Amino acid sequence: MSAAGRPGAGWWLLILPAFLLLVVFYLAPIVQVLAISVTEPEFGLENYERLLTSSAVQRVIFTTLRICIITTALALLLGYAIAYAITLASPRARGWWILAVLVPLWISVLVRAFAWVTLLRRQGLVNNTLMEAGLIGEPLPLVWNEFGIVVGMVHYMVPFAVLPMLSSMREIDPRLLAAARGLGASRGEVFRRVFLPLSLPGVIASGVLVFIFSLGFYITPAILGGGKTLMVAEWISLQILDLIRWGLGTMMATVLVVAILVTLAVFSRIVDLRRIFGAGA
Amino acid sequence: MMQTFQQDCVELAFRRYRRGEVDRRTLLAGLGALGVLPLAGGKAAAQEARRLVMVNWGGIANQGFGRFYGDPFVADNPGWTVVQDSTGPSAGRIRSMVESGRVTWDLCDSSAASSVLLGRQNLVAKIDYSIVGRDNVIAPGFVLEYGAAPYSFSSVLAYDSAKFPDGGPTSWADFWDTRKFPGTRLLRRDATAMLDAAQMALGKDPANLYPLDVRAALRKVQELRRNAVFWSSGSESEQFLRTGEAVMGIVWHTRATVLDKETNGRIKFIWNQGLLQPGIMVIPRGNPGGEMAQRLLASMLAKPEPQVGLLGLLGNGPTNPRAAAMVPQDLRRFNPTDPDNARLQVVMDGNWWGDNYQRVNADYIDTITG
Repeated sequence: MSAAGRPGAGWWLLILPAFLLLVVFYLAPIVQVLAISVTEPEFGLENYERLLTSSAVQRVIFTTLRICIITTALALLLGYAIAYAITLASPRARGWWILAVLVPLWISVLVRAFAWVTLLRRQGLVNNTLMEAGLIGEPLPLVWNEFGIVVGMVHYMVPFAVLPMLSSMREIDPRLLAAARGLGASRGEVFRRVFLPLSLPGVIASGVLVFIFSLGFYITPAILGGGKTLMVAEWISLQILDLIRWGLGTMMATVLVVAILVTLAVFSRIVDLRRIFGAGA
Repeated sequence: MMQTFQQDCVELAFRRYRRGEVDRRTLLAGLGALGVLPLAGGKAAAQEARRLVMVNWGGIANQGFGRFYGDPFVADNPGWTVVQDSTGPSAGRIRSMVESGRVTWDLCDSSAASSVLLGRQNLVAKIDYSIVGRDNVIAPGFVLEYGAAPYSFSSVLAYDSAKFPDGGPTSWADFWDTRKFPGTRLLRRDATAMLDAAQMALGKDPANLYPLDVRAALRKVQELRRNAVFWSSGSESEQFLRTGEAVMGIVWHTRATVLDKETNGRIKFIWNQGLLQPGIMVIPRGNPGGEMAQRLLASMLAKPEPQVGLLGLLGNGPTNPRAAAMVPQDLRRFNPTDPDNARLQVVMDGNWWGDNYQRVNADYIDTITG
């Protein structure tokens, strides 16, 4: 922000009421809850020690990271292809494409998870079709494992991957591509050396968005995982509601919040974060 | 959060209502007992001291508990009302209410393990056995220090008989025998009842089951893990068996009953070595109704007829020793506390589970998600 554009103190006063409201009713309670992680069962960092000593805690974290990274990578790959196709499409087709990307967003995550169960289970549509076609003798284990979870999560995340990439791709000046062609670059080279680098900020923005969303996933893994995979969000709920180990639960919640803030802080140095969350370009 | 037995029960009953197996008048009567309307009125505030709030897991439990637990008590105690609240009294919610110092709940549908956990943290009141009759239950496991059980349920072995034409499994040892009975197994994503079953599969005498050898039982579960799926809600357990995803499972008797009836006996279940469990109710510390909550609990335990009524509606087994004889003949086969069925089962040790649940369940989850 330039010095000339710096708002005066009067402007800050205008947002003061909203700021206070947020602090009192939102931030303060959250801090109060997260503080339990250092006060229970006794004052100290005992709960955080578990991050280093408990293999169960570590496994939950690594499982979550593994699933989130795989989900993010696949969502970006699929999302990039879709965003690329939309960018090149005619204006009329573009409208339909965008509608097709957005419609799944409006369907409940629960419904979508159950739809995948119907498709992927032993006697589901996919296995039955493959068996009848004689391609497989035994049903494939498509669900009740991490494969099923990743399918469900990628399906959920693709629209979130498409939108930031699309906005960044549409800012690319098509004349640059034409110029590259004119200077003798092949189609592949134009994509690799001109389009891809220019769309990279959008890719990173999408990656951050999808990764952060994935970290908090709860319903999809619970339904498609067959109970054999435990991710951070469900683990926290288990500690808070059923095991009443609030110290441990809030420790993990704090770790999650810190992980998200750190991710944002790191990437805010690389890309314009306001763009991810839809602020005016 | 894991679905509890109570939540599942009301879900099942609600389905029966939608299919017309339970009439609308019954449902409406239940809505009256629900007490949502009086809660909003100013008149209700004036009656504050003469109202007890029972907390359940929602759906048709409002009706069932209102009609079979609330109404008989209100009839005996003119001037008092019992209202149902379906917030879902998880241990975590009870804790946050008691610690906030504004307790509005009197009697909460909980579990044996939770009652011990909550009791140890001084979050629930001790049951006053000078008011609540210790002799009004069929076994000591139904009257604990911090809670008592007006109903029971059981975790039983259910199997798909079409998959085993030469005869189905008859014990937990068979459940673990994947050579003799091949196919995917179904277990609950919670240690209670699962490790007890594993312990029996290891050959321990059901009469002296406790304390459980947790390590050995967890290893036993580990054996099955690759070939198993784990359910969190009752409807999920039913679906896994109904659709053939699993050939055999440890499920609540209420779901097993539905499967037996609706598949015309294709999916069967056995009472043998089933884990009979108390449906424990607890009183949050500092509850507004004070001692009257103990009296309500006493009334629920003392009256066998409403307990039989609840068996018909929700499938929960009675716990009063006089109830079993009153159960209609066609329902007896599905009553976990019928003497013929109870004899075959093992009463789960709620105190052992209360002392060990936090640690053991964490290890169990760690084992199955490993």
